[in-house]
Amino acid sequence: MTNVFIVVISFLLVVTLVQLVRVGQLLGDIRKKDFNIVTESDNKRQSFLMLIVGLTFLTSCVWQYFAWNPLLLPSASSEHGVIIDELMRFTMILIISVFFLLHLFLFYFLHKYKKSSDKHKAYYYTHNNKLEFIWTIVPAIILTGVILYGLNVWDRITNADTSEASVIEVYGKQFGWSARYPGEDQKLGSYDYKLVGGANALGIDIDDENSLDDKVTRELHLVEGKPVLLKLRSQDIIHSAFMPHFRVQMNCVPGMTTQFTFTPTKTTKEMKMLEGDDFEYVLLCNKICGVAHYNMQMKVVVETQEEYDAWLLKQNTLSEKLLTQK
Amino acid sequence: MSDHHNETFLSKYIFSLDHKMIAKQFLITGMFMGVVGMLMSILFRLQLSNPGESFAVLEWFLGEKWAPGGVLDPNMYLALVTMHGTILIFWVLTAGLTGTFANFLIPLQIGARDMASGFINMLSYWFFFAATVVLLTSLFVETGPAAAGWTIYPPLSALPQAIPGSGLGQDLWLIAMTLFIVSSLLGGLNYIVTILNLRTKGMSMTRLPLVMWALFIVAILGVLSFPVLLSASLLLVFDRTFGTSFYLSDIVIAGEALHHTGGSPILFEHLFWFLGHPEVYIILLPALGIVSEVISVNSRKPIFGYKAMVISLMAIAFLSFIVWGHHMFITGMDPFLGSVFTFTTLLIAIPSAVKVFNYLATLWRGSIRFTPAMLFAIGFVSTFITGGLTGIVLGDSALDINVHDTYFVVGHFHIVMGLSAIYGMFAGVYHWFPKMYGKMMNKKLGYIHFWVTFISAYGVFFPMHFLGLAGLPRRYYSNTAFPMFEGLTNINEIITFFAIVGGIVQVLFIFNFFYSIFYGTKASKNPWGSTTLEWTTPIERIHGNWPGEIPTVKRWAYDYSKPGYDIDFVPQTESLKEGEEEH
Amino acid sequence: MDLNLKNTTYKQLLWIGMASITLFFAGLTSAVIVRSSESGWQDISMPKYFWYSTLVIILGSIFLIISKKTVKSGKNPADYIFLSFVCGVTFAIFQFKGWSSLVEQGKFFVGEGSSPASSFLYVITFAHLIHVIGGLISIFVTYTKSVNLKYSKENYLGIELTSIYWHFLDILWIYLFAFLLYII
Ligand code: HEM
Ligand SMILES: [Cu+2]
Ligand SMILES: [Cu+2]
Repeated sequence: MTNVFIVVISFLLVVTLVQLVRVGQLLGDIRKKDFNIVTESDNKRQSFLMLIVGLTFLTSCVWQYFAWNPLLLPSASSEHGVIIDELMRFTMILIISVFFLLHLFLFYFLHKYKKSSDKHKAYYYTHNNKLEFIWTIVPAIILTGVILYGLNVWDRITNADTSEASVIEVYGKQFGWSARYPGEDQKLGSYDYKLVGGANALGIDIDDENSLDDKVTRELHLVEGKPVLLKLRSQDIIHSAFMPHFRVQMNCVPGMTTQFTFTPTKTTKEMKMLEGDDFEYVLLCNKICGVAHYNMQMKVVVETQEEYDAWLLKQNTLSEKLLTQK
Repeated sequence: MSDHHNETFLSKYIFSLDHKMIAKQFLITGMFMGVVGMLMSILFRLQLSNPGESFAVLEWFLGEKWAPGGVLDPNMYLALVTMHGTILIFWVLTAGLTGTFANFLIPLQIGARDMASGFINMLSYWFFFAATVVLLTSLFVETGPAAAGWTIYPPLSALPQAIPGSGLGQDLWLIAMTLFIVSSLLGGLNYIVTILNLRTKGMSMTRLPLVMWALFIVAILGVLSFPVLLSASLLLVFDRTFGTSFYLSDIVIAGEALHHTGGSPILFEHLFWFLGHPEVYIILLPALGIVSEVISVNSRKPIFGYKAMVISLMAIAFLSFIVWGHHMFITGMDPFLGSVFTFTTLLIAIPSAVKVFNYLATLWRGSIRFTPAMLFAIGFVSTFITGGLTGIVLGDSALDINVHDTYFVVGHFHIVMGLSAIYGMFAGVYHWFPKMYGKMMNKKLGYIHFWVTFISAYGVFFPMHFLGLAGLPRRYYSNTAFPMFEGLTNINEIITFFAIVGGIVQVLFIFNFFYSIFYGTKASKNPWGSTTLEWTTPIERIHGNWPGEIPTVKRWAYDYSKPGYDIDFVPQTESLKEGEEEH
Repeated sequence: MDLNLKNTTYKQLLWIGMASITLFFAGLTSAVIVRSSESGWQDISMPKYFWYSTLVIILGSIFLIISKKTVKSGKNPADYIFLSFVCGVTFAIFQFKGWSSLVEQGKFFVGEGSSPASSFLYVITFAHLIHVIGGLISIFVTYTKSVNLKYSKENYLGIELTSIYWHFLDILWIYLFAFLLYII
């Protein structure tokens, strides 16, 4: 029934359109001029609309900013995240000002220089080398600043000192994450993808003595103020470990190991006080990886050293796990 | 040369060698694919704003299998996103845009009777047509169409165990893409050679209208970058079907350890983006060219800084080959390489800025006439500014860490590439429709089409930046799995609302287009008062374009409102007066 | 189109087409470079047949140069074109021989005994051979045309195009072969 209804309505709409357009054309015929040629009054109307819609658009951008700002990510919970945020603020202020400036020019020119009467003539002006040179060189200088600032931040992030960092492995597969802690010896055991299976979900080589005290967990716990070096691996396809609150993201690629170093600065508890009780840090997957890509996550907890030690103590080592399995 | 009396239906409309007919074939196929791609986006937008809810339309379009009970299946979601991206990027905005305007305008604007090789030109269309058929066929296979994203990163695209779309659907995708690449190479060859050799007397390269320059440079970009995608796909095909290990290594999937070792998925990303980034400019440059033309004609003013416009086109094209790494900042690439790519990427902002300033300078003290084409050209300038600026965020490797692959990217590329190019295409269609069909398009409908499109397009894509800054990843079937994204549903609803409105108003355009072909008012020979050569041809379509001699060109293409003339445009065929400077 | 314009147009079409093909192979070979800089890359020694095929493809080029000289001096070049066709076919045969000697060495395209290096080797030589087959077809067409006296002192565009393309294949092969020798 609804289908019939939709068909009938669409048909009527098309008929109305045709009739309206016809009427317009007939009127044009009567007045002996083509109805589709743009007239001065069209120019006035359209340029006025341009001004109104344009300004409304700009206003709505401001509105969006104020309305949705609270939904955005809270300020960074990591050391390098803070400098990323600063760079972001700088870049945003720059591009938003240029955005407004250029749009205001655009809408103003369109309104001001509309063809409002037959006598209105354009000014024949083909080029001006000096002007063009200026507006090549000025963006070039500004961009040099942006580039230098950006590269400086990038350099500090990618060349972070890893000597103090504790190493944790993050392992992704369709569709979940696990973390591996090195245990007492501070060394992660070696692995081989052919060993994956059964209880050994990460393919760890149990004959390697470094592996025995490794701990595999379903949550990622980090210590406040202590640098970590994440080693990232994937079992099947490319995933991406994304921790937006820390401004951390790195792809996990099968067949290789990637890494990212950072230092968390705010505990989960602190964040709960700032952001509300249901706040949790997460690690989510940010590279299309299949049917449950949208739900591939791991809880991340930042805590004090004592809490961390207590938590880690409770986790089973690999040897315990595999022994109980056998 | 008017030998069109003895044409059959087949040789006139189907296997035509006439560039104008081939252009129309590209345009109509492109428009059809545009409708398909747009519809797909509306279907998956419904799921994004109302996760898990049931919609009769979904079941109606996708059937019981992919939308059981009217709820979109997550695999189908990814398939729709993939096909949507593929169709819009390659079918609509590469073939549909360049294919239409290069074929239509090149011979007409440079003063040639046809393309250098009409036969290659026809082949180009029919390869494209075959590609279209294969791609659409893939919508109906049992395991669904390709679903690994339009970037088809392996291993996801290589392993049917990873996602069902990587079975037959991905095979068909690759076949379609191969046919597509052949089509664009054949087209590109032809465009380059035609512009180089068949210019009429007096039409030096420096007198070419900017749209010719844009199409010329695009053809070069295509001819140099598409083969690399072909080699990337070839290796992918071998990995998929013969079990080689170019891209695959150390994989355990569905409980089985695969034999592949030694491959590298990152290798594919390098090869893919070596095409992929120039592809973005292959989409954008024709629009830049069209818009330059339309703005100049309708401001009744020469385009400001012709030389700078040409040089910046070249600079953009050149730089586009050395920035591909900005898509790979977080793949674990060498940080130094990352710095290099940041540097080259941000450099592109300079020629882009020059273009924007020159557009504004062209409008300054113009005598602006608001045709629908002009409105879309203005829309282009606006989206090019907006999208270009967010590119400065994404090109900065340090900032990209946190916005990479989020909705910020989706907002950015839709505005700078999707909307800009679509606006360019609309501007071109409205502007050259009188030349194509000898009729005018309805002005009022054009106005309504523009305003609703302009408002709803920003309504769709501007809020996406906020989603991205809230951390929402793209290619997510729903945002309900994370409490941190709960507040975003509101934004998603707004986006979907505007997407539907924007989608519906395109019906008006299609109506206007076909209605005007048949019942539009008759166009005069040069309805916009334009200087370029195409407007010196007769209104009727004839083989060979000009009934007698091809006109000779005496001046550049932008003599609008030149002092010393009574009318406000001087056609390119008019001789310079005694003592008159060219420009 | 007048003859002169036709000549330049078709030659340009060919040149740009060849630029395109070059980028296709540049894609493949740069893939090898990227891959070979990673761990686990093993070199392969080239079978001797690839040396022979290098000689033969160059010989083919020489015959085409001679046939162009011949047609320019007003004689029928059919015999030389035929000889270059024979060279082309021999080239193809040597490529197959080369592959079978690789197989004998235990270097396979896929499966056990294959490595990224060997897979790349097959793909690159195979892709080149596909282009050679295109060249053979065009030599064959030129041959039949010259047997049917379609060419003259003034009009020998077909021969020119064919020989440009064949020289290109020739140089491409030398590049690929040198590349394979040193990198794989
Ligand atoms: C009504 C208009 C459109 C709407 C509502 C729309 C919406 C969307 C959305 C929401 C996505 C992201 C989905 C996700 O990542 O989960 C998307 C992806 C995409 N869209 Fe659009 N889009 C529209 C028009 C266009 C146009 C004009 C282009 C042309 C460039 C385009 C190209 C793409 C591409 C390339 C992707 C990425 C596909 C992928 O991830 O593989 N879209 N679109
Ligand atoms: Cu994943
Ligand atoms: Cu890019």
